[in-house]
Amino acid sequence: MSDQLTYPDVVQMAVPFFIAAILIELLWIVIKGRGGRYETRDALTSLIMGAGNVISGILLGFIAYGFFMLLWEITPLDLGTAWYVVLLCFVLDDLRYYWVHRFGHRIRWVWASHVNHHSSQHYNLTTALRQTWTGTFTFMMIVRAPLILLGFHPAMVLFCGGLNLIYQFWIHTEAIGRMPRWIEAVMNTPSHHRVHHGRNPRYLDANYAGVFIIWDKVFGTFVPELDEEKPDYGLVHNLGTFNPIRVAFHEWMGIFRDATQPGLTWRERLNYCIQPPGWSHDGSRDTSEAIKRKHLARNPQDAGTPGFSEPR
Amino acid sequence: MPLHILGILVIGGIAGIAVLLHLLGLSRPRRFEDEAAARSAWAEEFPEIPANRAVLCRNRAAALIQTAQGPGVVWPMGADSTARFLHGARITRTRDGLLIRLPDYTAPRIRLVLEPDEAEAWLTDLEQTA
Repeated sequence: MSDQLTYPDVVQMAVPFFIAAILIELLWIVIKGRGGRYETRDALTSLIMGAGNVISGILLGFIAYGFFMLLWEITPLDLGTAWYVVLLCFVLDDLRYYWVHRFGHRIRWVWASHVNHHSSQHYNLTTALRQTWTGTFTFMMIVRAPLILLGFHPAMVLFCGGLNLIYQFWIHTEAIGRMPRWIEAVMNTPSHHRVHHGRNPRYLDANYAGVFIIWDKVFGTFVPELDEEKPDYGLVHNLGTFNPIRVAFHEWMGIFRDATQPGLTWRERLNYCIQPPGWSHDGSRDTSEAIKRKHLARNPQDAGTPGFSEPR
Repeated sequence: MPLHILGILVIGGIAGIAVLLHLLGLSRPRRFEDEAAARSAWAEEFPEIPANRAVLCRNRAAALIQTAQGPGVVWPMGADSTARFLHGARITRTRDGLLIRLPDYTAPRIRLVLEPDEAEAWLTDLEQTA
């Protein structure tokens, strides 16, 4: 087996491109007076979160890689390194991304890691870099196990994951309206991903795609961006701090506080970890389903429109 | 990419973008135009708990909100805003206003710049309602 296969670290190589693209977007917004918003402390927090994500990868990346190499040792399959294998790996890893991302919004333990990416009230290219420091602790590396057991080399899988992340950078912008229709139909685009970052009841828990929006259409989570309802970015309850430490760890602290409160059963403690964000043992908080339901009670005319269709 | 080159790029990039944003005047915090804007900012965070009363501070940087479930405050988060109830808050006078400490990891401290008489009035108001 090709144990020594290596691919370039494309995310690190893309750092100069990230910086250049942010500067171009910023200048576009300043010169044109449209296409998004920037604010110093928000952008600084996002960029520090991005740097922390890189450091976290350097410090903790060996855990996931060690797990993948262990799987590679035990699998009898090796699909090789042909270009079409890399292409297939990229597509299947994007399907893996869809499910990890969906879990990231539907399981509080995983949301605790992902929430910081949604914690900005802005939506610009710096928001793309507002990444988790605690992804390793979600154990979502397990979702990649089938790819490696099927014979895709771990280095190839991580290479494809890196390309996936780089693709997702450019869609974090308001400077691009809509792409040509065929691209919007197949690919994840700024328009589709703006919906994903919206805190409007209509847009909650939608558009989990990484590269190919078709996954959302296949699995029933696609909601189009409506011209009449601009996404309102951020969290349902927005943070009151720019401190990167608090941004990175606030939901973990929330889980700890909730799961250790006195008087709960062990099942309730577990549920505070694994139920969707907003779940509570006494029903005192709202999940996204409850938020949508209450919105429909106040705005019954929205029933049956995108984001308020069938239960998923 | 060698680690030291990556480090220089990341640190230089972050610092450069932050300085540029500041020089472009993009560090100005939000100001609420009027009480209606403060109420609207409250409603964005708590759409089901209406603000019965909103008292905007003179510099329009924050507003004290009264609701059926107790008092709260809206304040700027950069160019945007957020809001919290003041349940369990510890409020102290500072040289330039009030410092509100909340038992909330996501919003531990709210610094309000208020005129001395205004700070006194807010403090009295909060002592009566909190």
